[in-house]
Amino acid sequence: MTSTAVPGTTGAPGVRRLALSAAMLAPAGVVTLALVVAPLVLVIRNSFARTDAYGNVQGGFTLDNYGRLADPVFLKVLGYSLGVAAATTVACLVLGYVVSYYVASRPPQRQLGLLLLIIVPFWTDFLVRTFAWINLLSPGGPVNSVTDAIGLTSGPAGWIPSQGASFIGLVYAFLPTAIFPIYASLRGIDPSLSEAARDLGCGWWRVHGKVLLPIARPGLLAAFLLVFVPTLGVFVIPVLLGGGKDQLVGNLIVTLYTEFRDQPMGAAVSVLLLVLLLACLAAAGVVTRRLRRKA
Amino acid sequence: MTRGKPRVHVMDRISAWLARGVIAFLYVPIVAVVVLSFNASDVTYRWTGFSTKWYAELAGDTDLLATLLTSVEVAVLAATLATVCGLLAAMGLNRLRSRFRGVFMAGLFLPLVVPEIVLGVALLSIFGALHVGLGMGTLVLGHLVVTLPYAALIVFGAYGSLDPSLGEAAADLGCRGWTAFRKVTFPLLRQALAAAWLLSFTISFGNIVMSTFTNGVGSTTLPLRVYSLLKGGLTPEINALGTLLVLFTFLIIVCVGVRQMRQVLTGGNRSPQ
Repeated sequence: MTSTAVPGTTGAPGVRRLALSAAMLAPAGVVTLALVVAPLVLVIRNSFARTDAYGNVQGGFTLDNYGRLADPVFLKVLGYSLGVAAATTVACLVLGYVVSYYVASRPPQRQLGLLLLIIVPFWTDFLVRTFAWINLLSPGGPVNSVTDAIGLTSGPAGWIPSQGASFIGLVYAFLPTAIFPIYASLRGIDPSLSEAARDLGCGWWRVHGKVLLPIARPGLLAAFLLVFVPTLGVFVIPVLLGGGKDQLVGNLIVTLYTEFRDQPMGAAVSVLLLVLLLACLAAAGVVTRRLRRKA
Repeated sequence: MTRGKPRVHVMDRISAWLARGVIAFLYVPIVAVVVLSFNASDVTYRWTGFSTKWYAELAGDTDLLATLLTSVEVAVLAATLATVCGLLAAMGLNRLRSRFRGVFMAGLFLPLVVPEIVLGVALLSIFGALHVGLGMGTLVLGHLVVTLPYAALIVFGAYGSLDPSLGEAAADLGCRGWTAFRKVTFPLLRQALAAAWLLSFTISFGNIVMSTFTNGVGSTTLPLRVYSLLKGGLTPEINALGTLLVLFTFLIIVCVGVRQMRQVLTGGNRSPQ
């Protein structure tokens, strides 16, 4: 049986078929192995390497880089980054759920239009969406005009740079990404499901808590991944909107690699970030499994 | 608490208004950029009058235009490579029914659970160890790493939803191999491939994290250049550039079409269980 490039063809997996498969998988496989797996292994290796006086990797084995990580300065950055990432993720999931439920409970024709409204900001350039906030939050800017008009402030007041601005920028950047997977799990739910729950005496909170949230769980988990992972590595928003004062772990890694040229130290921070992230993902996995069993 | 008798609960009203508010919130910054790009004032955020002078300034900024060209080149190359690799992988995997399939997919989608910054320093390390000079080549490879999982997601989704009987029908009619691909598979996948390419292009074009680690002298991308300009403060010229990028976004969405976009972003019409 020779190969056809259309799915569903059956037949004995002959040598030729296998060779053709291998050839087709080769490009993506090489990219994955050479540009993702091997480099990550090298970073792990470098995190245990010694350095010379110029920060060059010297080989050997040492735990010094991890020892230096115990410095309160580094721990504070890590803790703060995890906190910011967690807060951003929670805000995006809650707002994402509210918007997704709203869109999914409209008539089909209106859903498409509303979705288009969310797609536009999603596809808009990341930097544009970030520096837009500099316009809005600068002293004498549009937000300041509004607060002046309603009497919250009098005269020029600005909110840039600040932690609050940085947080708003992060939520704004990742919210559209969170909406799509949640909407995907909520659309197509039979409206009679929540009506039935209501008829059986469930209040609004219980309809959502017991009926809709469990259905949306896979979407919420995907949204969690799509927001939490990139937020942990973000470094542009804290610099532009936060003024670079409160560093995130992303800023730390960039500084270590590009300014201090301390590769093993940067590698140790990267590995720690990766381990923390995997721990968070595992915890999220355990929690959802527990919830599913309970439901 | 009433026993949920009223058709529209108060919380339904509140959450609907909150949702409308959030959708409006998504547009406030974008509208601000567009409006303020026509501001005559040197200070971006204080409106003094209408002017298009910043667009003229932008058109004369050869430095910025050179980085724009770099970004387009890199994005075209990365998007093309990612789409082709994704398509080949989808077809290759389909012929395989084994545990290898799972391992391969796990590797392919690994970049989605590793922060991009770690992928960036990892590539920087290996290029350094192999003495590969940073430049256009490394930039394209870096962007390929970032875009491939997304291109693959779209192409895999579309490939998986093809009707298997089409292949059998083609084979029955004597259409095999390359001919079957050209006459049956490719036309059916064309829309998904275009969407995968455009999403990859957009991701690559706007990328800044990976570019920070893989760009070299003479291969500065537009976002890198804008980022370094922004560190010195926002100028009306950057607002003008932002407006053009928003316009470009509309263009891409029109190209792909809203229905296809929903298919791509929310995984088609499957009903959840």
